[in-house]
Amino acid sequence: MTNSPLIRFGIMAYLILFFSYLLGPLILMSITAFNSSSFPQVAPWEVFTFEWFSELFADEQIIEGLRNSFIIGFFTVILSVAMGMAGALVLTQIWPKLRSTYYTIIIAPILIPGVVLGISTLVFWQRVNSLFGLPDTSFLQDGIFLTVLGQSTFISSYCMLVFVARLQRYDTGLTEAALDLGATHVQAFKKIQLPFMMPAVGSASVLAFLASFENYNTTTFTFMDYPTLTIILSQKVRLGINPSVSALAFLIICLTVFFALVHEVRSRRAQLAEANGAPVGAVGGGFRAPKIFAGNPAAVVLALFVAAAVGTLLFAQVYDPTPAKKAFMEKKRIEQQKRIEAVKERMRLKKLRKSFKGPDIFAPKKEKSAFGNAFDPKNLNNSRPGTKPLKPGSKPVAPFGGAFNTKNLGDIGPDGKKAKPKSSTKPKSPFGGVFDPSNLGKVGGKTN
Amino acid sequence: MNGFMKDYFRTNGLAMGWTLILLVGFWVVFLIILPQIAMLDFSFRPNLPPPEMGGPKDIHTLDNYKYLIYGAQGSESTYNIVDLSVFVRTLIAAVFVTIFDLVLCYPIAYYLGQSKGGGTLRVLVLLLIIPYWINEILRAFAFKIIFGDSGVINEVLMFFHLVDSPIDFIKMNVALYAGLGYAYILLMIFPMYNVIESLDRNQIEAARDMGASWAMIHRRIVIPFAKPGISSGCTMVFMLSAGALAAPQILGGPSSLWFTQRVYQWFNMNGNWTQGSAYAIVLLVTCIIIVLSVMKLFKVNMGDIGK
Repeated sequence: MTNSPLIRFGIMAYLILFFSYLLGPLILMSITAFNSSSFPQVAPWEVFTFEWFSELFADEQIIEGLRNSFIIGFFTVILSVAMGMAGALVLTQIWPKLRSTYYTIIIAPILIPGVVLGISTLVFWQRVNSLFGLPDTSFLQDGIFLTVLGQSTFISSYCMLVFVARLQRYDTGLTEAALDLGATHVQAFKKIQLPFMMPAVGSASVLAFLASFENYNTTTFTFMDYPTLTIILSQKVRLGINPSVSALAFLIICLTVFFALVHEVRSRRAQLAEANGAPVGAVGGGFRAPKIFAGNPAAVVLALFVAAAVGTLLFAQVYDPTPAKKAFMEKKRIEQQKRIEAVKERMRLKKLRKSFKGPDIFAPKKEKSAFGNAFDPKNLNNSRPGTKPLKPGSKPVAPFGGAFNTKNLGDIGPDGKKAKPKSSTKPKSPFGGVFDPSNLGKVGGKTN
Repeated sequence: MNGFMKDYFRTNGLAMGWTLILLVGFWVVFLIILPQIAMLDFSFRPNLPPPEMGGPKDIHTLDNYKYLIYGAQGSESTYNIVDLSVFVRTLIAAVFVTIFDLVLCYPIAYYLGQSKGGGTLRVLVLLLIIPYWINEILRAFAFKIIFGDSGVINEVLMFFHLVDSPIDFIKMNVALYAGLGYAYILLMIFPMYNVIESLDRNQIEAARDMGASWAMIHRRIVIPFAKPGISSGCTMVFMLSAGALAAPQILGGPSSLWFTQRVYQWFNMNGNWTQGSAYAIVLLVTCIIIVLSVMKLFKVNMGDIGK
């Protein structure tokens, strides 16, 4: 590769851009899970909260969907790993002339749109059902049965590809040797070939489960009475979104990162072990554990990740967002009030301008209490239960009710410390006379 | 054939041989071939209530396909403009998404394939895979958060006063294309990466020594070499984005439908399965024709797909 700094810079910039497109959405979505705003958004930030997680765990639909997903995933894994392995074994032995046709047929489900697979499964088994004259409630019309079959159609192809890759390195001489030594075919398969394929079985199972778990296109036609988690999610997202979905996404992302790191640590360890010529078990374990960290940055990251997760969990036990939230609500209410006031003021000024065409239209500067009912004593009492340190007092001496004074925003910070109650600055008239039409004349009189 | 079967059972034994045949047979016949045939057959039938199925009215007809082209009988326009335009737009958009992914991923695949391996490469590959493990609904949801009216982009734009009111990215389909392109990045990168990785670096060195420009190296060496990977990636991205359902449902604008959504509507809202089957068949056949003709154009074999 060229070492020109310009090209290197270009590559770096492109990589950063690319990976922010790849990871940015996930990070932003995770952040929304902690914002108390009832619409998932990053900005404006309200209050840090864990409430969406508790809402998530209290959601029975999601729990039920999760259960269905696991049931369907379990059967799909068994069926597709078995069929995928058989498909791969047959592919290695099939009559050469049939080979490319056969390969095209078993690879096709990957390319066929999932919607088509779902529909064809549904239609076919419905017809089989009516062919045998079975009622609509028979197992052939069962959501789990249909979904498992529909998903297995294409997931088996994925598994088949995994097994084909592994089988390419298999020496058939091993099976032959076992047969010569008197093993039956089943024994030879069980003792020789299957152990060799075990790693592929593992990765195919994981792949199959993940594919089944996140499948939507096929499942949406076949789930009947057993909505999977993905179906539930799609219904939720389409009907109206709330941050508990973000919370779920955050958990899934964490799990994914966790397993990816575990996988990385294990393969690193295997590599290290291979390099040292020692069996995997000899590296790490027991007292030598810290040594894993030495050559294994992934292990360090994993340890940090677990620590962060535990820390967050502990923090979630003690953290209570209610005071901050109250403060925020108060602040928001006040801001809204101010905005209303500002609009009213503007309208009043307009009116004033109409009635007095003089240079002194900014007269309301002298007015003391244009603050509106935001500080109505009654309101204060309602929003300030007991000893909570939230005292949304402010300096309503400013004109326009302080609506245009940015300093005021800081004064009513959510920590409530800055905002000291200033009873002396309380407006004399709670309504600031803004709504009183007779005031118009008064103000006008003063300014004149 | 007979000799082949004898050979087959000699190498596998009876029990193993039959198990394999049964498993593969079940998969190929009952999961792949018969359902497709059943759907094809179903698409030629009128929509009847269950008791009348198999009765005298249950005959083969082209009505469902006619409906897609000409619309309902007695309607004002000659052609079914709504559905046909949805169909064409879906295909064009799928092509667009494919090209977008190809352009976006080629440099990355080249960089990954030609880098010398080691820690950075592993981390990058890990980062590539992680988003792919996240549910597709959730990925679409993430894009809704970003492109929504009060989404991140609009908030940023408004914060810097670049726009006064939020831009409706959903209606402009920006969110949909970004989401679809995002969903299939990995399927585009890995086939290309696998091929480019096996390209001998000396070839590039030699070309450079002989004075080939950077563009020339890619046009004459890397791209011809990576053709199987490129076509494999493009095929998968095109098929999957044309057949996508979740992203259009979540990110699609109210006025723009995806063809799969029409299929979905026939099944789940209108209860007209035969019509839905006909639409699904049209989608499937068109996609296959497009893919096969593109593969023929670039002289790539079916066997290269899925590597």
